[in-house]
Order: sequence, then C-alpha cells, then structure tokens
Amino acid sequence: MQFPSDYKYSKEHIWIKIEGQTGTIGITEFAQSELGEIVYVDLPSVGKQFKKDEIFGSVEAVKTTSDLFMPVSGEVIETNVALKDDATLVNSASFTDGWMIKIILSDSKEIDTLLNAGSYEKIVS
Amino acid sequence: MRIALFSDIHANLPALEACFNSMEEQKPDAIYCLGDLVGYNIWPNEVINEIRKRGIPTIAGNYDQGIGLMSDECGCAYKTEPEKDMGKISISFTNSLVKPDERKYLRTLPAHIKVEFQLNNDKLNLLLVHGSPRKINEYLFEDRDEKSLLRIMEQADADIICFGHTHKPYHRILPTEQIENTHYRHAINTGSVGKPKDNNPKGCYVMLTINQDSSITNKDAVQVEFIRFDYDIEKAAKAVEDSPLPNEYADMLRKGY
Repeated sequence: MQFPSDYKYSKEHIWIKIEGQTGTIGITEFAQSELGEIVYVDLPSVGKQFKKDEIFGSVEAVKTTSDLFMPVSGEVIETNVALKDDATLVNSASFTDGWMIKIILSDSKEIDTLLNAGSYEKIVS
Repeated sequence: MRIALFSDIHANLPALEACFNSMEEQKPDAIYCLGDLVGYNIWPNEVINEIRKRGIPTIAGNYDQGIGLMSDECGCAYKTEPEKDMGKISISFTNSLVKPDERKYLRTLPAHIKVEFQLNNDKLNLLLVHGSPRKINEYLFEDRDEKSLLRIMEQADADIICFGHTHKPYHRILPTEQIENTHYRHAINTGSVGKPKDNNPKGCYVMLTINQDSSITNKDAVQVEFIRFDYDIEKAAKAVEDSPLPNEYADMLRKGY
C-alpha cells in the first residue's frame, strides 16, 4: 500500500498535496480499499468555503457511503470533473488521477496539525 | 392496478412455490421479478423454469449476471474473508448446476424495466432495477442519505423506484419542494423471497397499488404492502446442509440474516 512521503494526511483518511497556497485533496489508498468499488463522488461547487473538519462531500461505494472531511480550511478552486464519468479513478489512482478538489488554503498554519506519511501509515496498519 | 414485485429468490424453490401460492390468493394484475434467481441453494434451474413458464417479466440480478457469464464473481461485495470464502463455494457450485438453456436465459435478461403511467395529465414513472439504476450490485440500504437517493432517482427520471439486492424491505417517501407543489418520490425495496436478511425468516414480496388518482403531487399516490409468507424453511435449510454449500447458509435461512 502506498503512502507518498510528500503528502500530508488526516485521521479521516484524506490526503493533501500542498504547492504554495494551493492544496490538492483526495482520499488515501487505504480509504478506497476499505470502501470498495466507488460508484459516485459528490463534490462541492467551485467557490465554496469550508473550515477544517467540515464535510465537503461524500463518496458512494457499492456497499457503503462515507462523508469527506476537510483536512484544512480553504476555498474550492477546482473539482475533478473526470470523476463524474468514472468514479472508479478513486479506486485505481487514489493519489493521482482520483484527486477530488483543489483549494486555496486560508490558514497555512493548519498544515502543522496534519500527519506525515509515516504517522498515517502507523494508524492504518 | 395492483402489481406484485418480488426478488432475490436465490435458488430457494420451496420459498418461490409458497410465494406463487400467496400471489394466487392476492390476484395481482401484473407480476415483475427484480432478479437474483440463483445462488446459495440447490434449485437454480427449477427456480428459473418456474418463473419462465409463467412468462413473468424479469430483470437480471448481479448473481444472474455472474452465472450467465459463467463467471466466478457474483458482484456481492463481500466484506470479510469468511464471507468471501463461502461466496466462492456458492458461485462455483451454482455454475456447476445451471444448465446451458437456463444459463442462456440468465445471460439475456434485461437490466431495467420502465413502466410509464399517464393517469392525470402527468407522468408517473415506475422504474424496476435490481440494485440501483446506475449499478446492478449497488446496495441501497434504508439509511441511505435522502439527498443521494433523490439524486439517483432524478437522474433516472423515476417517480417510483423498486429494487432488491439488500434483502431488507422498506418504503421511503421522498418529498421535493417545487414552486407550486411538492413532488413525492417513492423508493421501495422488495426484500427477498428466498434469503431474507431482516431477521424475519419468512419470505417477502411487495404489492404495489396504483390508483386512478395517483400523481406525483399526492403523497399517498401509491400503496405499498409488504407480504410475508410462510414456507418450508427446514426443507430449504436441509437442502443446503446436504449439499457442498457451507452450512452457515442454512442457519441464515432459519434465522433470517
């Protein structure tokens, strides 16, 4: 199972890749494997603002559904439209093509509250 | 009109026979089968033929699709390793039992049936699926978020959706506020004829009544009755125990889980 070292993680199995003030967000490989085949991803509109730990969307898998929690506060600037046609990208490429939203971070300090790859790996193994 | 809807027989012939006996008393105007005729018991061919000889419109369930394609995958999305191991035995055993003509029948079943009523200068669309409109093996449990269920129904242009697959019957009325009125949608799970999982081992089917004044703006547009019937559970359970199938499937029949 992968745990890319240049990403940060939340206990709710969300990853965020930070580039300057922008963060790309998705769910971890562990999360997708627990959910099973994903059928639909409900994502917010561009422009919406969320605080850290707020629900920004949900994932609907064949047998279960799960809410998505913001790892940090920010404004949505882009959503992954490819997931509308093929939600299983989250299964096949959870850390890359299966990304969900891009945000502008509203408080960079919140990054310090997240886990690094090693700490996250310990939680799920 | 009164429409009988049943699903998830899973090769349980005693249950299907009791179901048809009950329907003969109920005298519905139409009967539809929402799939999963086979798997988990010893009578897949007999179940297929009882349904075929009555000419009952039937859609494919995920298990029917798996067996139709001679696959070793039933799309059951088992979670635990013991469940997966038992499931492998069931699909392998079912594949060994099903005859060529019956397999061909399963392979050619339709995925959905849409029934459009035009009663009061508006449409009332009844959609029949096995799991969900978008996925044959999606589990729409009773606690599914209302927003999600409504989205699924809106995308499928369904006012009433009937489905099985979870083996747990329910009826939910989903209102949507519109400018002049409220649009009421109905999500109906038909339960299971031959493998109930709602802790009631009796078989289950649905009687749906559409009235002449039925409309999307009338909350009571349709009546939904869940009919539970007794059947020879011991016969079905013993058949499992006397077969290569795991004995736990017999216990599940006796207790309804």
